[in-house]
Amino acid sequence: MKTMISTLALCAGLLPAVALAQGKELNALVWCDHTDDALIKPFEAKFDVKVNLKEYEGTGAALSLIEQSQPGDWDVLVIDGIDVPRAVAAGILGPLPVDQLPYDSLFPELVMAENQVIDGKTYAISEKFGYNTVSFNKSKVTAAEMADMTRLWSGDFTGRLAVYDYYLPVMGMVAVGLGLKTAELTVGDMPAIEAALMALKDSAASVGEVVASQTAIATGEVDILVGGGEWVTAGLVSENPDLDWIIPEQGAVRWSQSIGVFADSKEPDLAVEFVKHVLSPEGQAALATSACYWAMPANKAAGDVMTPEQKAALRWDDQAAYLGKAQLYPAPDAELDAAMQDVWTRFLAR
Amino acid sequence: MSRSIEQIERRRALVLLAPATLWTVLFFALPFGVMAVISLGDGAAVGRSPAGYAGNYLRFLNSPEFVQAFVNSLEITLTVTVLSVLLAYPLAWIVAEEIPARYRRLALALAVLPFWTSYVVRSYAWSLVLAKQGVLNDGLEAVGLPALALGNSRAAVVIGFTHFFTMLLTLTIYSSLVQLPPNLRRAAADLGAGPVAVFRHVVWPMTLPGVAVGAFLTFALCIGDYVTPQILGGGNDLALPQLVMLQLGRAADLPMASALSIILMAAVTLAYLLTARFMRAVR
Amino acid sequence: MMGGPVKRFAACAIYMVLIYGFIFLPVIVLVLFSFQDGRFPVPPLKGLTLKWHAEVLADEDLRAALLNSLIVALASSLVALFFGFLAARALAHSTMRGAALLRGALIAPMSVSYLVIGLGLLVSFNIAGVGLSLVTVAVGHVVINLPLCFAICFAALGAGEIQAERAARDLGASETRVMWLVTAPMIVPALLAAFLLSVTFSWDEFLIAFLLSRFDVTLPVEIWSLLRSGLNPKTNAVGSLVFLVSAMAFLIAELSMRRRT
Repeated sequence: MKTMISTLALCAGLLPAVALAQGKELNALVWCDHTDDALIKPFEAKFDVKVNLKEYEGTGAALSLIEQSQPGDWDVLVIDGIDVPRAVAAGILGPLPVDQLPYDSLFPELVMAENQVIDGKTYAISEKFGYNTVSFNKSKVTAAEMADMTRLWSGDFTGRLAVYDYYLPVMGMVAVGLGLKTAELTVGDMPAIEAALMALKDSAASVGEVVASQTAIATGEVDILVGGGEWVTAGLVSENPDLDWIIPEQGAVRWSQSIGVFADSKEPDLAVEFVKHVLSPEGQAALATSACYWAMPANKAAGDVMTPEQKAALRWDDQAAYLGKAQLYPAPDAELDAAMQDVWTRFLAR
Repeated sequence: MSRSIEQIERRRALVLLAPATLWTVLFFALPFGVMAVISLGDGAAVGRSPAGYAGNYLRFLNSPEFVQAFVNSLEITLTVTVLSVLLAYPLAWIVAEEIPARYRRLALALAVLPFWTSYVVRSYAWSLVLAKQGVLNDGLEAVGLPALALGNSRAAVVIGFTHFFTMLLTLTIYSSLVQLPPNLRRAAADLGAGPVAVFRHVVWPMTLPGVAVGAFLTFALCIGDYVTPQILGGGNDLALPQLVMLQLGRAADLPMASALSIILMAAVTLAYLLTARFMRAVR
Repeated sequence: MMGGPVKRFAACAIYMVLIYGFIFLPVIVLVLFSFQDGRFPVPPLKGLTLKWHAEVLADEDLRAALLNSLIVALASSLVALFFGFLAARALAHSTMRGAALLRGALIAPMSVSYLVIGLGLLVSFNIAGVGLSLVTVAVGHVVINLPLCFAICFAALGAGEIQAERAARDLGASETRVMWLVTAPMIVPALLAAFLLSVTFSWDEFLIAFLLSRFDVTLPVEIWSLLRSGLNPKTNAVGSLVFLVSAMAFLIAELSMRRRT
């Protein structure tokens, strides 16, 4: 009896003791590419702080997590650039000190002032970008076959393709393939998009998130990945050189991640320091080549720190052409977003 | 004034019961009630369900994708339960009857050893085995058989589940078998019954309650599982728990997630009632 | 022509081989490809390397998650066993009104999906403003283990224990001493079984731990994160190590018990 009580007390006492033992902490809500030691450890060492990371799979999941949290739980937020206005409207993000951040050395298309500057205040800065387009195994499928996006849901490749499980870019791609503009989508466009999506699902062998998608194409489970891009292939091409990607003639969708600071953060200065670290050339190089997925850094200065092989894998020099052919993610209002999510649920359940 | 012995005993019993009862009420019954109340509420800001208390449930009934997911869950769970019982019973029987007593426990331990890999990792391992260029297909091709497209499908989910529940049921059926009084079987044999008849008329009916309990446990655990369908299903034939997590994670639609969970509970409760009635009938 | 017993032996042997093969197939593949010299854990096996195992052993997050899993499993199992034993003691052979009802109520959570239990607790903690942590995970694990411990202790408390208790009480022992010095030692096998089973369930439990934790996570949740942060055989290595360690512990316990019997 006595031993049982003392053991219980020990266990109960251990937990708060463990919590007290940790010094300063920074809590960040991020995409999976921010968990690399190469990115986090230099910051932790420099500021003697522990960075806690929680990964999410899409803006909806992140917002859901924030909703289920208490104020002050989070300090840093990584969020798709297109969703920054939503986060600001919900009072989640706080303003950033423009003078401390390298806005002038960003790729011009990535400044995205219309999303990130609201009422004269800047709430986020782009940190990484890439494309949701079509990845393929060039030993099984040729680039010419991939040039027409509508062939993906025409039944030509049944059972040979996988779809990336994120509704905004894939529905955006389908819209682009149908000749629509992602910035001008309305609820009325949904039936046509849904029809194409259902045909796509019927052709698909599987639907999965980031790693499942990479696994599917890298291990030969499928030959084509819809919604893939350099973020799928660049990091894996050293192991499987047959992986390639292309932007079809109809175009594709560009994604960009931004990083910002929580309005109710308990460590606002430290959070800003973290943002500065991620935007520094070294931080950008680490982020660009992270284990989860590779992609272009938003800060051009990173090019001075990266190796020629890394830049070749990311097609650094072709970016101008790609940026011209890609449209931004759809940025739906609440009603359109609900409609899109419903369509996506039906897509997944088909 | 002296209290009667019964009163003292009752007070003592209540004190002993207090911690367990309080815990169950506070951390099980109350949250369940809260969830039930929330399931009657309106969905995310854009009220995707019809208005009114039964809104989310009506939406469930009217949405083919939700109903289909429920049906998928039921089909998968029933298939897994039947398959697992069919595979586990002979194994349990062989270990209990055919294996010499010395090696019995070792044989049983070996049969459930993979239990001790992490559940998440075990499902992941099955995805490696069943992949298009995975171990299974490599083996089939090596002997000249055609490759099977089992990965990312309902078949993979059923295989993954059956693997786990066969091990679980082996344990429960084995313990049921070894608790059989040996005299009954001897008596039946003495009366002239052959081994098949002994099994049909003595062993099977007496182990049926154990099998029924194991089957119910399989049903309850299988229908509520999220991990295996998520890892092995490849986004095909979604099961109800996956839709619950979707509502929770992406749509931030807590009321709908709660309503779907309650529907899941209703299915398990129905299974429980059927099992209880079956057990009463069998006894 | 083969005789009956030989045919039966052959049939049993074939079945055993097939079924053990089925049971061990994923584990063998898992362990084999944890040594894969390459990033993709699929055939062909390119070469053998210990690199992934080394990475797992050096991974701080995994080590922390392992420790967390142990703490949560031990703490929640102890609480569940303690409360379950007390309740079983109260209800065993009780003539109280509503005893059967109470028994049913205490066992009920066993048949409820972990998803439902976890979601209910998540929602309630949210409303109550309680932050998520290992403590909330442990709370959830007590909920799932309490009915189990109660049921096992209840089944183990038979007439023999009641008689012994009565004898001890007649000899003048206080109630507490009766419980701890007479009842508990008599059902030590059941207590041990309940404890070990609870630890096993808590150790491997994913869904409740996933829903109710934030940064300090348990091993299954950390493995799930691993699966989501990059394609490599490190996941295989984790699974192999967990399996090898627990299998060894189990076999050692098994062999030591055999020596005693």
